Amino acid sequence: MKKVILVVEDSPTIRKFVAFAMLSHGYSVIPASDGMEALEKLPNEKIDLIITDLNMPNIDGLELVRTIRNSSEFKDIPIIILTSLSGQNEVEAGLHAGANSYLIKPFDPKRVVYEVAKYLN
Amino acid sequence: MGSKNIVQVFNKLDDLKLVFNYGQKIIPIIQNLIDFMRETVPLLENINNSISESTSKIPKASHKINDVTHATELATTEILDMVDNISGEISKLEKTYDGKFNEMKSIFTAEELEGAKESIKKIKDYSNNITLSLQVQDITAQQLAAVNHLIESVQKKLGELINDIEDADLDKIDRMNLELDEKITFDPNASYIKKDDHQKVADMIMDSNNLSSQEEVDKLFCK
Repeated sequence: MKKVILVVEDSPTIRKFVAFAMLSHGYSVIPASDGMEALEKLPNEKIDLIITDLNMPNIDGLELVRTIRNSSEFKDIPIIILTSLSGQNEVEAGLHAGANSYLIKPFDPKRVVYEVAKYLN
Repeated sequence: MGSKNIVQVFNKLDDLKLVFNYGQKIIPIIQNLIDFMRETVPLLENINNSISESTSKIPKASHKINDVTHATELATTEILDMVDNISGEISKLEKTYDGKFNEMKSIFTAEELEGAKESIKKIKDYSNNITLSLQVQDITAQQLAAVNHLIESVQKKLGELINDIEDADLDKIDRMNLELDEKITFDPNASYIKKDDHQKVADMIMDSNNLSSQEEVDKLFCK
């Protein structure tokens, strides 16, 4: 059975890039355009891993990570942050929020696939 | 009235005379000031009109920027779809190649077969590089959103200035609102420069004991 990845990203092009990379490596993808949509979809699907941006409307990436880590049901899902924010403080904020990996844009699709495989395979 | 009082009256008259003398000296200065103001008022009106005109043009500039973002987004999506199709076809070709390898050995030389395999790998790498380069759209979209945000701030300030200068028609200023999409978020420092250093620092912070080096990634993809 294909592993399911929730891709949370407000940019349609980046969402497509990530989906493109994941689908071509045998994963199934569920897209969400912000943290709020992600939290709405989370209980309805069996999500194996989450890839999320940080800068997003409604509920941003950090808040999404914190919310998931505080939830008893979804707290163990691996989370990869994929963002253009590259400052040390921002990375540390991602770490403290509970993200497993932090990837900086522009990203090499191979690196994203590698990180996903690290948690799922 | 005593002589003391008369002296006081004369003193006061002298003071008055001094005031008149001073007045005579200051009148030309006041006249110059009035002339200067007469000349300045039209200039201020011009400035005010320019500010009004500039303010009214800002929403148009902002909409143009949004149009550019949407157009590049559409084009990028189309290119990515094409790359997706190419990758799909290459994967099919690769499967056929692997499946018919033994049959092909009797037709082609080992060198030719190796060359074909190498070409397939190169096409896959090029496709991957295209997706990497296309991320410039997302970065420029964020930069344009930052510019739009700046324009919005300038427009707001200019609107306030017009309001202060001329008791402006508030409806007119309201009509100038940019109606920017508040749902757009952006990183004003987003940059397309590919800096491995940033990723290395992020990796070290995230997990210094389990660092995913580029060598490990390359190894996984048999680079």
